[in-house]
Amino acid sequence: MEKRLQEHPVLGKPEKGKKVTFTYDGKELEGYEGEPIAVALKACGVMVHRYTKKEHQPRGIFCAIGRCTDCVMIVDGKPNIRTCVTPLKAGMKIQTQYGVSDKPFNS
Amino acid sequence: MKRYDLMIVGAGPSGLSSAIEASKYGLNVIVFDENEKPGGQLFKQIHKFFGSKEHKAKIRGFVIGQQLLEEAVSLGIEVVLNATVIGLYPDKELVVKKGDEIQHYKGDSVLIATGASENMINFEGWTLPGVIGAGASQTMMNLHGIRPGERVLMLGSGNVGLVVSYQLLQAGCEVVAVADASPRIGGYGVHASKIARCGVPFYLSHTIKKAEGTDHVTGVTIAEVDSRFQFIEGTEKHFDVDTICVAVGLAPMSQLLKMAGCKMEDNPKKGGQVPICNQYGETSVKGIFCAGDVAGIEEASSAMITGRIAGTAIACELGFITEQERDENYSKNKSALSELRQGMFAPENRGKQIEKTEEGIDTATNLLKNGFLSENEAERIPGFTHNKKIHPVIECAQNIPCNPCQDACPKHCIRIGSHITALPAVDTEKECIGCGLCVASCSGQAIFLVQEEYEEGFGTVTMPYEFLPLPKKGDKGFGCDRSGKKICEAEVLQVRTAPAFDHTNLLTIKVPSDMVMKARFYKSAE
Repeated sequence: MEKRLQEHPVLGKPEKGKKVTFTYDGKELEGYEGEPIAVALKACGVMVHRYTKKEHQPRGIFCAIGRCTDCVMIVDGKPNIRTCVTPLKAGMKIQTQYGVSDKPFNS
Repeated sequence: MKRYDLMIVGAGPSGLSSAIEASKYGLNVIVFDENEKPGGQLFKQIHKFFGSKEHKAKIRGFVIGQQLLEEAVSLGIEVVLNATVIGLYPDKELVVKKGDEIQHYKGDSVLIATGASENMINFEGWTLPGVIGAGASQTMMNLHGIRPGERVLMLGSGNVGLVVSYQLLQAGCEVVAVADASPRIGGYGVHASKIARCGVPFYLSHTIKKAEGTDHVTGVTIAEVDSRFQFIEGTEKHFDVDTICVAVGLAPMSQLLKMAGCKMEDNPKKGGQVPICNQYGETSVKGIFCAGDVAGIEEASSAMITGRIAGTAIACELGFITEQERDENYSKNKSALSELRQGMFAPENRGKQIEKTEEGIDTATNLLKNGFLSENEAERIPGFTHNKKIHPVIECAQNIPCNPCQDACPKHCIRIGSHITALPAVDTEKECIGCGLCVASCSGQAIFLVQEEYEEGFGTVTMPYEFLPLPKKGDKGFGCDRSGKKICEAEVLQVRTAPAFDHTNLLTIKVPSDMVMKARFYKSAE
């Protein structure tokens, strides 16, 4: 099923910015400028945003309002960015976060 | 450093209402909000609000948000966004984080209107991607136009769980079930009925045992609990879902007040730790006020009123208005507030089992267990009348503060009276013209127009319909009963859409005469 709503019975057609491309773990994906990074990822079917430091457990969107910090990722090289409240920009480099730094687990 | 008369933390319904009120009296007001956009949660609330005209009843939440914002802008109120208040000191100083910068603000008074955060419960697998808060669902579908999932299990049958379940259906998701550890549905019966007639089953005295999946949710197991909330073995039920939505209540975000040294109390009826305040929302620290959910969990309508009350009291304390002006304003707001705090869902009734309505009618237990009125329960309420000609049938069985239906009828067929929580009654002496304004005005979507004799052997049912694709005249499908079960064939006779209906379409179907008091939803043949 298409994840994006084409039309809503009460809200009509969703208003979106212009279509832009960004990379997710090196893969080129498309989203809309200004929408939260997490929304663009979700539309592309990405569920796992990071793996926890100790147990290496997957985490994704949880509160979607910037409170819980479950959805943090590495954005343009900076770790711990709350993707649910950070607007998407063209050319952004988004990476899965391992632990709490911008380094992979085994480094 | 610029000094303000009033500094407000939180640009939601209570913060904005307070800012508007204070600004009208001439106070120099600044509002901080950590979010990118103001309005708090109002912009996610796409359902029509309850209450009366003065509570902005039958207006959708996001429209109320727009109105508040426009008013704030027209008054020139300074709203600082992306600004997280990280400190509040007793001498009315705020520490605000904007990006990587920390700034200090001083003022003569402070209003904390930070609202609430969602509660969570733990179960095996609860950290898996795909387990989300109900608020997250609303944010995704109503703000960003994206479905949280294809198949969803909702945990929690309070108003949030019920309203969000309905919104999930509106967004085209499937809601496989609503589960709640409580033995009774917690939210309004009318909200439960809206999803029950779409076929969503309720599992009361059930909670989640396990979220399944390795990297994300692929299923869920729920099981029955006993009166001490312990799982009963052998009662497990499994659902294939990709999303588990958790709506288990809200807790006040009162940390700033605690930090400032305000006296606090743990009050389960208010949802957690709240400041002790007077009738105007002033805390134990003079000049520090609070309003909205941070002072006790209610809803947006009362948050707006408590915001106005605090705004007026602050204006008085700072000498902008007299005590008499404050008291006049207070008594008006107070009566609007007490109206909202009446009825079966009043704060003091939280957790109580209610045996009878104010009218002395036995409580509808099927409504509390399964989310819909049984035929017997429907028959005994005053809105449920029989008539061969077209007439409203009002399936409103709980005393809730709401009365738009009474004003909507141009022929005065519907009567609630001056007591806002009274069950609406249909006056069979007055003639219904079938305009459908009552159907569209009912925030609980509990009013239907029924015509028992449309043609030989057939009658019609007109229902509120807020889904896409909208059926068309001549479409053939099925009439569903209050539980969502297909009970008869149905033909769409008419689909009415009008600005006055505000996106609640009126769908009229033709069904066999013996089905007019049973069919309450339409499903197309495909």
